[in-house]
Amino acid sequence: MDLSGLQVILWLVAGLVSFYFSIGNARVWTSISVGFFLILFGELLPKAMPFLPGTGIPQVEAMGLIISTIAILVMSHGFQEYYVFSRTLELEGNKSQVYLVTLAVIFASQIFILINPAPDADTLRTIRVVGNANWVFLSLINIDLIRKIYLNVKGSPIGKGFLAFIAVFVCIFLWKGSELYIQVYRLDLPAVMEAYPARYQISQITNLIGNLLASLSVGGTFLYLARLLR
Amino acid sequence: MVLLPKGNPVKENANPGKINLPGALEKLQAGKFSGYLRFDFPGATGVIIFEQGRLISSLLDDGRERLIAYDAIAAIFEQSLEGRGRLDVYRLSPELALSVHALLHGDLLYKGQELKLIDIKLLLARLKELAITGCLRIYTGDRVALIFYREGNPLGFFHDGSVAIETTADTSMSVARLPGAKIDVLTTRGVGEGMLADLLSSADLPALWQRILESRRSEPEPSATPAPPAEEPETVDPAVREAESRDELLATWREIALRHLGKIGGSLVEKEFEKNLGGALDTAALNAFYERLGKSARLVAGHGKVNSMVEEMGRAAQEKL
Repeated sequence: MDLSGLQVILWLVAGLVSFYFSIGNARVWTSISVGFFLILFGELLPKAMPFLPGTGIPQVEAMGLIISTIAILVMSHGFQEYYVFSRTLELEGNKSQVYLVTLAVIFASQIFILINPAPDADTLRTIRVVGNANWVFLSLINIDLIRKIYLNVKGSPIGKGFLAFIAVFVCIFLWKGSELYIQVYRLDLPAVMEAYPARYQISQITNLIGNLLASLSVGGTFLYLARLLR
Repeated sequence: MVLLPKGNPVKENANPGKINLPGALEKLQAGKFSGYLRFDFPGATGVIIFEQGRLISSLLDDGRERLIAYDAIAAIFEQSLEGRGRLDVYRLSPELALSVHALLHGDLLYKGQELKLIDIKLLLARLKELAITGCLRIYTGDRVALIFYREGNPLGFFHDGSVAIETTADTSMSVARLPGAKIDVLTTRGVGEGMLADLLSSADLPALWQRILESRRSEPEPSATPAPPAEEPETVDPAVREAESRDELLATWREIALRHLGKIGGSLVEKEFEKNLGGALDTAALNAFYERLGKSARLVAGHGKVNSMVEEMGRAAQEKL
């Protein structure tokens, strides 16, 4: 069942909601919402819309994977900042700094891709594995960090919003974790797939459901936060 | 005059008469603070030293006599409530806090020697020969550096901005190069961690503070032509009255913030109150407080909620002030 079109629509909604949220709210939310917004650019558009200009060019695909990794790094940084705020009640920086630094990192990654040989299938696979490993481990770390934030802001209007973020990262963990599992054990090779069909099927279904739930929960969480912070 | 380098500043130039000092000391205890509080009054200097949240030492020196322990704390409270003091708080490492305590209670071997008039090499050789444990205090009008020695061997340096005993001499030596630099030689008896009693846990400081507040309230204002008691209006020290209304206002604001934002709201109010309302409670200071509190509060609540909280606080302030 090909649900990539539906995935794109859901991520498009989640991405737009999170980006809109970053404009209208306090600075510390900018990194978090920009991170979620970048998932849309980094992964889903190239994967789901093969007719987009540039799709199929290895550099473009590599860039998409790198932006996806930048996405989880940026949002993790945002949650770290929020945790520091919830502990020290101190705030630093400004919104434009977050946008500019994120753009600068993307630009530097682009230069890195361009000055190196065109990535072949193996290189792309390695970049994908590295990206997924980042997603999986940072999702786990973020779940713990958000739990601590929740304990610090429990009782405030925003408190329950962080429980929703825990649900988001659980979905992301399932989505990226199942993909990483397939990649590490090469379950997508025909011979391995035949030898372990159940594992491959379960991983694929987990990947699909995790992806759909992640996009739904991201969009839903930001709409919920917007309501809480109205 | 108590000469100490400044350490890592936590709070500077606060008016201790406008702070609930027992409450502040309890917070430092709960936060496992290491460092010292310096009180500068018109005729005296007080120092309270914390080591990992334990109040290990207190001293008040007016040039003629030195009070220590509870006597010093009571005198510091009393002089603070007169409203003409200045409070600076500096963070230090626990080890350095102990060394500073030992130093304050040590003996002066040489005092106020002009650095350019003495043979420093000979002095250091003499310290080594006598196996002195203590420190060299090098100072000018506004800068101080300490060089600690144990049994004649140099341990390290402590100068303005240090948090722990340092091994580089640059800043300490730059004080020595300043014109008019002087040197004291002090000997100390070593103090080990855990050997000192915690004065906070063995005394009821809130009760002491309250007693001083009440005795100040009942003290009549000095008057050149005393009027008959029946006609004399009840006089209350303005500093005491301001300290009380501050405490009341903070408690009311905390309660409002807790209701609107939960426990983080109470903490935000305390933090912004301490940051913005250390001086006079005038309109500019209050506006700065509301603005900063609103900005932080918007991270945990929406505009509507924050605005109604700030408005309620404004009304409470108008009633109390």
